[in-house]
Amino acid sequence: MAWALVLLPLLAAGIVGLAGEGRRRVLWLIPMAGLGATLVVAARAAAVQPAATLRWSAAIRLQLAVTGFGRVMVVLVPVVALAVVVYALASEAADPRLRRLVSLLVGFVAAMELLVVAGDFLTLLLAWELVGACSWALIGHRSGEPGVAAAANQAFVATRAGDVGLYLAAAAAFAASGSFAFADLPAAGWRLDVIAAGVLLAAAAKSAQLPFSPWLFSAMAGPTPVSALLHSATMVAAGAYALVRLAPAFSGLGWFGPTVAALGLATALAGGVVASLQGDLKRVLAASTSAQYGLMLVAVGAGSTTAASAHLVAHAAFKSLLVLGAGVAIHAAGSGDLGRLRMRRQPRWAAALFGLGALALAAVPPTGGAASKEAIVAAASDRWAIVGFGVLVAGALSAFYASRVYLLAFGRTAPPDRRTGVEDENRRAPPNRRTRAEIAAMAVLGGATLATSALWLPAGRRLLERNAGDPWPEAGAFALVPALATVLLGVGAAWLLDRRGHLLDLRLSPGWRVDAADWLALPRATKGLVVDPVLGLARFLARVDDRVVDAGVLATARVAAALSGALSWWGERGVDGIVHGVAGGTLVLSRFSRTADERGVDAAVEGVAGGVGVAGRQSRRLQTGLTHQYFLIVAAGVVAVVAVAVLGRS
Amino acid sequence: MLTLAVFVPLVGVVVCALLPRDRPTTIKAVACAFAALPLLLTVVAWARFDTGQGGFQLVESARWIPTLGVTYSLGVDGVSLPLAAMTALLFVAALAYPADLRGRPKQYVAAFLFLETVSVGLFLALDLFLFYVFFDLSLVGMYFLIGIWGHGDARRSALKFFIYTLAGSLVMLLAILGLYLATSPRTFDMAEIIRQQPLAGNGLRGGLVFLGFLIGFGIKTPIVPFHTWLPPAHVDAPAPASTILAGVLLKMGVYGFIRIPLAMLPDAFRTWAPLLAALGVLSIIYGSLVALAQTNLKRLIAYTSVNHMGYAILGIAAAGGLAGRGAEARSLALTGATVEMVAHGLITGALFLLAGSVWSRSGTYEMGELGGLSSRAKTFTAAVIVAAFASLGLPGLAGFVAEFHIFAGTFSVYPIAAAIGVLGLVLTAAVFLRMLSQVLFGALPERWASWPDLTTVERVTLAPLLALVVVIGIVPAGLLDVIDRTAKAIVTGR
Repeated sequence: MAWALVLLPLLAAGIVGLAGEGRRRVLWLIPMAGLGATLVVAARAAAVQPAATLRWSAAIRLQLAVTGFGRVMVVLVPVVALAVVVYALASEAADPRLRRLVSLLVGFVAAMELLVVAGDFLTLLLAWELVGACSWALIGHRSGEPGVAAAANQAFVATRAGDVGLYLAAAAAFAASGSFAFADLPAAGWRLDVIAAGVLLAAAAKSAQLPFSPWLFSAMAGPTPVSALLHSATMVAAGAYALVRLAPAFSGLGWFGPTVAALGLATALAGGVVASLQGDLKRVLAASTSAQYGLMLVAVGAGSTTAASAHLVAHAAFKSLLVLGAGVAIHAAGSGDLGRLRMRRQPRWAAALFGLGALALAAVPPTGGAASKEAIVAAASDRWAIVGFGVLVAGALSAFYASRVYLLAFGRTAPPDRRTGVEDENRRAPPNRRTRAEIAAMAVLGGATLATSALWLPAGRRLLERNAGDPWPEAGAFALVPALATVLLGVGAAWLLDRRGHLLDLRLSPGWRVDAADWLALPRATKGLVVDPVLGLARFLARVDDRVVDAGVLATARVAAALSGALSWWGERGVDGIVHGVAGGTLVLSRFSRTADERGVDAAVEGVAGGVGVAGRQSRRLQTGLTHQYFLIVAAGVVAVVAVAVLGRS
Repeated sequence: MLTLAVFVPLVGVVVCALLPRDRPTTIKAVACAFAALPLLLTVVAWARFDTGQGGFQLVESARWIPTLGVTYSLGVDGVSLPLAAMTALLFVAALAYPADLRGRPKQYVAAFLFLETVSVGLFLALDLFLFYVFFDLSLVGMYFLIGIWGHGDARRSALKFFIYTLAGSLVMLLAILGLYLATSPRTFDMAEIIRQQPLAGNGLRGGLVFLGFLIGFGIKTPIVPFHTWLPPAHVDAPAPASTILAGVLLKMGVYGFIRIPLAMLPDAFRTWAPLLAALGVLSIIYGSLVALAQTNLKRLIAYTSVNHMGYAILGIAAAGGLAGRGAEARSLALTGATVEMVAHGLITGALFLLAGSVWSRSGTYEMGELGGLSSRAKTFTAAVIVAAFASLGLPGLAGFVAEFHIFAGTFSVYPIAAAIGVLGLVLTAAVFLRMLSQVLFGALPERWASWPDLTTVERVTLAPLLALVVVIGIVPAGLLDVIDRTAKAIVTGR
């Protein structure tokens, strides 16, 4: 059954990918059936917790197991994917390559399900990189447009730099216990440090933590449904998921928790600032994704995988909802520029659902996002008061940018630079069939967002406690009150700035704001400190290599000359031979400086031709059984070839 | 049966020589049929191979020059069998692929078939002398293929290739003789030398002999800094010859490391293994960095070959790096190196054939002149993407199986080398993704507006290579089981 979780979506993706052009019904039917079946199997698998293996060799088996938080994730992934695929079928219906898009989206689910059920490092790594490859193909979906292929490449290479960590973790696990299985981790000894560091590196890259965060901006080059899936339940979620699954095994390492928490908090704060300053709708959401995963890392670092997994689930629901809503707004306005949107609550349902997502992002009770965020505050302040305070600040920021993005995208006030009437008509146009399907998809995710409110109930908390493995961090009034206060602060600040007409520019000078909004100039730093030096080194080495090629000819000649002497020694077997050989070699060396001499080349060609002719004839005579003769002549031929090629150029 | 597999292509040479010269299609078809026979025979050998046994199997032996201890002896083990099968497959593919025959179809197929005999023979040879003869003759066949059917400055590149690698094989010959002179009774028989372990514990002499092999095989592999013959040879060679050069001839060096120094000189090997590991890491990083700066498609693939052979060398160094301890991990590394050879043969073979398709349509290898082809040629695009991702080590494809084994095994022996080498994965990803976006994506230049997709012949030829890449990537058990027992036997010295 564990395999069915992977094979069902894979099969559906294959059928869609190979189906003939223009068969729209197949495009609807197969993905729905495939993902629906996956969902059914996932629900069943979450209950029976199946396991499976695939034998590679005596030493290596891929291990699959639906266990722990994976029981929740196997269900979550197809739920989000179903809504996203419905949305994609509607919103990208005009795309001549819709088949490719849908096939890859469904295939993405297969790779992610494999990642979720991985029971050892090999399977995890395998799925991990396949998820990355799917992302590459999806981000680069419109590869004919300028810059898109480069953006896809950047996303892949940046995350692969993190994959290196998982390779090392797998290797260290094998070195420690002769096995890749997670279950054998406790026996790892000192190598556990290497494993933990490797997993953290890989997770940080996947979950767009510092300093890898900017790849998520590049990933926005993909179509909207791709972003929706990538941010919520697949690619980016993989990092946090792996940490939730593996962090308990690292709890004995003193450095691990504080490092994870510090990294997460730094990303949450930086991402919050970036999202608050951004002027592009999708980029606000991308920066907020990094920030929210940063909060999950804080929870993992503080030892509460339950809080982290709760936030992962809540975030998956509201973030996919927000991205799809952003797609509706961008389509209607023809731009994602927050200075030009102001949809005035149109289309009505899209605006309302986007608002619901924004409330969850802002952590306004009783949404699930509020419950999980308060759990993170509680867990963090329980460990380190300062980190708890940092999480509160990050919470205020997310309340601020969530309100800001809602007001700027769907808010009422007219944009100051409203342009043509056509655009205006477009905004007011009654929802057509396409928009209705899009809103239906959003409604599913809106329902999921509302469902995460169950995290306020004991039953919802128990579900995660049981699977993530540690008790829900209860927030006393001490944590609850400040958490609510910061939310109010963030929302209030956005409201006030909006009334004064400064919500977009925040009264900051444009130059500074644009720089800071692009991940605090991190992409430029990466380019200057990593990418350019590597490329420069590559070009330098390539030039050196070209020169060495020329030098190599002469060096080779010298070696060849000296060795032809050695060969004649073998022929004569004597000291005389060596003397003769060295003398001959020296002679050859002087002649060899005329390597480029055409006559010499010709002579060599002819000489070699003679040699191979001999060899060819002799090999035919092998059939006559004269093997001794054959050997002698071949050997002689070889010697002749050597001699002619090296000596025979005068 | 193995003898038949080695020499049947030469029968093909004779048969093709009797065909009329003006029927190139018939000549190629007949040649392909003969080239396929060794493939068939290696498949039969595969079926008869006992995976539970570590030594040589299906041995065929005859007296040859008894006074020198030279025998004619063929056989397979878990390392050579997959290589021989992969070699035979690549020859069929290379021969079938469309190429500019320059009006000399008979000579063209003769050179390929001769090279097939030599290559299959080398992997099956169980006698050092026979091994050496095949090793040297491989240069001859390739020399002609590059010199006559190449383009650009083909003859110069061919000569450089020939002399450089010949120099390497001569150093290797010295090493073989050094090894031979230490045997008692004198013998070239590989199994016998492995049993005797003639230079066990012999510091200086064993070291010198090992260094001879290091240089000899290092040039052929090639390991940085002995690699400079490779790029010009590849660029000027016709695409099918590049396929054989990268897919088969490079493997002779790597295979030589496993067959001779690792199995016959374990003590000297262990002493020098750190050097070999360092050279492997150097090849990995240097090869991928230089590939990153290339603008010529074939040079780029050539340098990634240096990178991939670096992985294999690193795995071999780890396999011979410790005495007694860590046999499990070392055997993993050796299995990885062997899979790397097979995977690289299939993947890079396919990449070079695809480069040939580019050349036959455009007359250029410059990536800057290409672009946007994904909108014109769907099958071509799919094939290039699969081959490129396989080469950068994407899981689910053959290269990953190899590289994962190598790194997982090497880490136990040389953790630092493994940690540095793993960075090669990031660099190769950058190399191939850059290549893909330059060749396939972006805007389609006007002049390629009518770029034809792959022809049926090209598709049929590439399909088995890429299909095997996928199969090995997902269910490698069939391949790993064949290699496993032999790898264990080699690292534990039986």
